[in-house]
Amino acid sequence: MERRELTSPHPDAARWRPRLAAGVRMRMDPAAGRALLLFPEAALELNETAAAIIRLCDGRHPLAAIAGELAREFGADAKIADEVADFVAAMRARRLVE
Amino acid sequence: MSIAALAPPRSLVAELTYRCPLGCLYCSNPIDFARSQDELTTAEWQAAFAQAAQIGVLQLHLTGGEPLLRDDLTELVASAHACGLYINLITSGLGLSGSRLAALRDAGLDHVQLSLQDADEAGADQVAGARAHRRKLEVARTVARLKVPLTLNFVVHRLNLDRLGAMIDLAVGLGARRVELASAQFHGWALLNRRYLMPSRAQNDRAEALARAAAARLRGVIEVAFVRNDYLVGAPKPCMGGWGRGTIVIDPAGRALPCQAAASIPGLEFANVRTHPLGAIWRDSPAFNAWRGVAWMKEPCRSCAMRERDFGGCRCQAFALAGDPAAADPACELSPHHDAIRAALAEPSENVEPVYRAARASRAVSVARTSGKN
Ligand SMILES: C[S@@+](CC[C@H](N)C(=O)[O-])C[C@H]1O[C@@H](n2cnc3c(N)ncnc32)[C@H](O)[C@@H]1O
Ligand code: SF4
Ligand code: SF4
Repeated sequence: MERRELTSPHPDAARWRPRLAAGVRMRMDPAAGRALLLFPEAALELNETAAAIIRLCDGRHPLAAIAGELAREFGADAKIADEVADFVAAMRARRLVE
Repeated sequence: MSIAALAPPRSLVAELTYRCPLGCLYCSNPIDFARSQDELTTAEWQAAFAQAAQIGVLQLHLTGGEPLLRDDLTELVASAHACGLYINLITSGLGLSGSRLAALRDAGLDHVQLSLQDADEAGADQVAGARAHRRKLEVARTVARLKVPLTLNFVVHRLNLDRLGAMIDLAVGLGARRVELASAQFHGWALLNRRYLMPSRAQNDRAEALARAAAARLRGVIEVAFVRNDYLVGAPKPCMGGWGRGTIVIDPAGRALPCQAAASIPGLEFANVRTHPLGAIWRDSPAFNAWRGVAWMKEPCRSCAMRERDFGGCRCQAFALAGDPAAADPACELSPHHDAIRAALAEPSENVEPVYRAARASRAVSVARTSGKN
């Protein structure tokens, strides 16, 4: 149930160019040297892959292009497209990405 | 807890002033707030923000009283922004013109949390003790027009819980990204007015069910967050995410507190940012170390599986209701002091005179306390 809600597709997934929602900012944590996603309620620590995805959520890259970039950067297998889609959908469900 | 294991604070709550044009019946500010007059200067706040950022703070919540009453607010926002802090303004909205908000936004304000008292104008103004609701709606529209991300906060209680649906609709109509329906926590003025504000269990259950349904229905449109009434839940809130675990509060006069109500606990001494560096206060001050971690706990918390999740609840509530800040929060059904909660829930709401938050009432309360037992 929760899972399905998390991954509910964008109404126009093919043309969607994800970007950070208003009020959400990414910055580095000087202490941990890690990327953080800041919004009023919390700060999320991002691992390297998540940070790379979020960096590409700039309103210019469609989902497929983000997955392509990730595959190039991290040399990952075909599963990466699903992983990127899941992550971005989860971010959208939390209204961090739109 | 060893010093090496101590995590840095992640958020700073800056109570810029206790002055406020409103007098909300539920206000969580300390009832003796009028004692605190000597507000930090612009430069002192700026120094505190810079130190906070240096020791790891990421989020800055500007609150009060009413932060808009500080004429230097834009300057404060600009310097906090220069330190990289994420800046959230928590406000009643009174005094927020379009030009002032534009200046705040351009100085680096990230987000506005605007409080409304009700969806109904007469009800809202009654709780605030002033004609404010219409002006607040105007402010909400201004925030949306200037594209500043907005959370609407409604403190909910007996007088307005039945209009929860209308509050959510209002938040959607105003373009908020999130609506917080926060059950009144019984601290400060809300504790004085507890009988007047306490909802019935049936009323609260209906509201919670409605909020849950709305949250699911509006997913992707607005985030609907209901903060539960700990008296009715029978379990404590994980207050502050744990004492001295992630948050520093600085009160208007510069005292650094582990939570906004901490000064209600007698015997705690609070270091002042005027005289002590924030990093040392966080690490070493007796107040921040008083109930850090779990080693201080008594039974039933000491051996409870929940102790790392709820941290034994709220220290201020434990003192207020059990007379012992190291006791389990009486909101917990396992607490030997849970009777205090049952008794409070059994009190009738009729024939109660509410007390509005005001400087004069605050001075009267302080005098009564000084001449009384504490
Ligand atoms: C004390 S107020 C100060 C800022 C500003 N004057 C305002 O009211 O928005 C900070 C926040 O706490 C909320 N609040 C006040 N009293 C509360 C209570 N007893 N329980 C829960 N939230 C409360 C307010 O609605 C507001 O969002
Ligand atoms: S909750 Fe109401 S009375 Fe308290 S500080 Fe905010 S606006 Fe003022
Ligand atoms: S006994 Fe203490 S730790 Fe356990 S649930 Fe109650 S308050 Fe929390």
